[in-house]
Amino acid sequence: MRKHLSPGLVLLLLFFVAAAALPFFVDPRGHLLRVAAMALLFAAMAQSWNIVGGLANQVSLGHAAFFGLGAYTSTLLFLRFGISPWIGMFAGAALAAFAAALLSFPTFRLKGHYFALATLAFAEVLRVIANSWASVTGGPVGLSIPFLGTKPELFAFRAVSSYYWIILALLVIVCLAFRLLARGAIGYRLRAVRENENAAEVAGVDTFRVKLTASIISAAFTALCGTVFAQFTFFFDPDSIFALSGISVRMAMIAIVGGLGTLGGPIIGALFLIPLEEVANAYLSSAAAGLSQFVFGAILVAAILIQPRGLMAYWPKSKAGRLARKDAKPVTPATPATEGGR
Amino acid sequence: MATHGAAPILEASGVAVTFGGLKAVDKVSFTLRPGEIVGLIGPNGAGKTTLFNSLVGLQRLTAGEVRLNGEKVSGLKPHRIARKGMTKTFQNAALFPDMSVTENVMTAALLRHDLAGARAKAEQVLERLGLTAIGDADVSDLTFPQKALVEMARALATEPKVLLLDEVMAALTPTEMDDVMAVIRSLRDEGLAFLVVEHHMRAIMALCERLIALNFGQLIAEGSPTDVANHPTVIEAYLGAGAAEAAHA
Amino acid sequence: MVQALVDGVLLGGVYGVIATGLSLVFGVLGVVNFAHAEFLMLGMYVAWFAWRYLGLDPLLGSVLSFIIVFGVGYVVQRTLIERVLKAPPAAQVFLTVGLLIAIENAALMVFGSEFRSVSVPYQVEGYRLAGIFISAPYLYAFAAAVILSAALWFFLDRSWTGRAIRAVAQDPMASALVGVDTKRTYGLAFGLGVALTAFGGAVILPYITVSPTIGGQFVVLMFTVVVLGGLGSVAGALVGGIVVGVVQSMSALVFPIQLQNLCLFVIFIAVLALRPQGLIKGA
Ligand SMILES: Nc1ncnc2c1ncn2[C@@H]1O[C@H](COP(=O)(O)OP(=O)(O)O)[C@@H](O)[C@H]1O
Ligand SMILES: [Mg+2]
Repeated sequence: MRKHLSPGLVLLLLFFVAAAALPFFVDPRGHLLRVAAMALLFAAMAQSWNIVGGLANQVSLGHAAFFGLGAYTSTLLFLRFGISPWIGMFAGAALAAFAAALLSFPTFRLKGHYFALATLAFAEVLRVIANSWASVTGGPVGLSIPFLGTKPELFAFRAVSSYYWIILALLVIVCLAFRLLARGAIGYRLRAVRENENAAEVAGVDTFRVKLTASIISAAFTALCGTVFAQFTFFFDPDSIFALSGISVRMAMIAIVGGLGTLGGPIIGALFLIPLEEVANAYLSSAAAGLSQFVFGAILVAAILIQPRGLMAYWPKSKAGRLARKDAKPVTPATPATEGGR
Repeated sequence: MATHGAAPILEASGVAVTFGGLKAVDKVSFTLRPGEIVGLIGPNGAGKTTLFNSLVGLQRLTAGEVRLNGEKVSGLKPHRIARKGMTKTFQNAALFPDMSVTENVMTAALLRHDLAGARAKAEQVLERLGLTAIGDADVSDLTFPQKALVEMARALATEPKVLLLDEVMAALTPTEMDDVMAVIRSLRDEGLAFLVVEHHMRAIMALCERLIALNFGQLIAEGSPTDVANHPTVIEAYLGAGAAEAAHA
Repeated sequence: MVQALVDGVLLGGVYGVIATGLSLVFGVLGVVNFAHAEFLMLGMYVAWFAWRYLGLDPLLGSVLSFIIVFGVGYVVQRTLIERVLKAPPAAQVFLTVGLLIAIENAALMVFGSEFRSVSVPYQVEGYRLAGIFISAPYLYAFAAAVILSAALWFFLDRSWTGRAIRAVAQDPMASALVGVDTKRTYGLAFGLGVALTAFGGAVILPYITVSPTIGGQFVVLMFTVVVLGGLGSVAGALVGGIVVGVVQSMSALVFPIQLQNLCLFVIFIAVLALRPQGLIKGA
């Protein structure tokens, strides 16, 4: 067992410390902190997605479903019954976990494109329901959370910095969960499932259970992010919270641009993409509607073509880096120096 | 060496698999006792791999039944059958490519151990197969024979009672083959039962106490290696090349 | 009831052509093109501009849509798709999703967000046949779809290029050995696939308005059709199209309009789960 801290891990811890200190150095009510909070939230979302998308390589294009379930559950419980979003967020997580389990049954055999399509359709189902079942969901106009001033017990704060720290804490928790999963027995099993499902089964891996567990955990964390998002933005509607490109694809894209299946990938991806989008929005949306989204799409295309293993591949010590170097020289049946040694 | 009096560990009765109209395995019945090494021979496309897949649960049976240790296992998923003690190696090594050799083997060892125990088990199995030196290598860097051995190590890490080997020796040199055969024999002495598919007649004749021959999915002969190898139907099935080699072995 | 059936068949025939393109791309290249519906949108815009500035009826403009989008598709394939043909599905999914986002927003920049529609003399006309009303624009679009499908079948079956496409779909290695330029063939197949869909988009212009986000409304529909028929099966997509058209117009009798799509999504997930190889066997 290697227990020592790798350089990457040290870097990550330093990042968390620096991130925690950020509100002391910038305007605590300012735009910059909002953007930073959004970047961290998207990092947490991408990390949640990474649990199934990266470790098991089940490419979901429907995680907006769980995100929206989290936002709707906590917000409706609060608006209708006055239940604090702190409690509502766990109700949302439970509901999302349940939905993920339900979805696992029809989709567990599906791979690659088919899985992506089925999950995409699932999020669409929820979007349609949220739009049309207006008596419960409020319909297409969406839901707004009344501003109450600072009420910590009701997850309401005046200062952006409070949300920022909550989001950072959530990110740390999701990262911790990811690492525990990746390094634990289930991490081995998930990677086995990812790489060869039949071989995994024959080697004794209960592939259905492993995927089910990962999807449930992933969905629950995504739903937590949904609640936090709702509290942070005060307002959401079905089309934005269950959005394909706005939520589902963006979660996946951040993980991919950063480095699929790696611990640092979603953070690097979010720190790279969210500010970039923000800048693009600020400077380009005045130029022409759609330009910043166009850039977003173009970056995704470019990222896939330039380095499918993500930004993490440029960190030479990482596994992604090693694999990327291997990708670069395809035909190398390099025999290790030592033969079987019998 | 085989404990002939012992109850069979594996019983296949009337196992059949059809693909569309093709009868890939056609009502095959046989038994395997603890500590027995049985060879499964037959020309390419005879249905050997398909039979293996149907035994370990990767392939649904069209008819018939498989019993392991007296318990019906046909219809169970492969991981349940692995837990009950039967697994196989893949003809074209199906290792987990993004993992190291040790990690590949550990994944299988996790079936019966926690993480630390699985690591220890993996190291022990690798040692036994003489693979310790390549434990940290990426499997994508291995040679064919090494892959076949890691494939076998991974199967052994599930601690099976019945192990189905699908052409693990195909790419080995004669000396490597002898080494693997020695390992198989010593495992057999510990009570493990083997069903071995191999095209090297030399290995089959040296290793097996009993042979089963398949052709077009049907069991065409069963018995001692020399009897089966000289069986007219078997010779006919191989049409020359293989048959001649078998007769001279 | 019968009325809904007729409507469904007329609508479904066009869905068939639209989805055939998607199915063809998967069948030949093995890539699920998430951006496919964006080419439908492009086809609609070409037809709209042809109507607006050249005075062409969209039924004729559809030919222009076919040709122009074919060219666009060929270039997109040779420059982008070609490079992920051997990549894992995740890379293909995200490349085409990125393309979807880029094309949709490029359209938003170039064409603006307003809805555009054409006016043609037969827009509200129709034929009455044994008590059933057959809407003229639906009928003409259906007829155009049938004609194009027949042409496609003829092309794939008879022409050298068509045969090369089918050969590459079955065995690229062997095709390369007998002298087929597989890369070019992939480009042609992709171009053809998106052109078919663009054509389908153009012929429905008389009864559906176009906007940059129109593709999004067709994504799941298109995939439902294709998955019903079996991914990669061209004939299956045509049958699947009619099935979906009928389901859609039948469910409109029972459900409110918003829930119409819900039926489709549920069918879609169910089909994926139960028979990912498609319901319409051997097509
Ligand atoms: N998944 C499958 N679908 C259809 N036919 C198959 C499949 N797997 C094997 N076959 C066919 O079954 C027969 C037996 O194949 P196999 O078991 O691989 O033979 P062997 O291992 O003895 O060479 C062959 O004719 C083969 O083509
Ligand atoms: Mg075989």
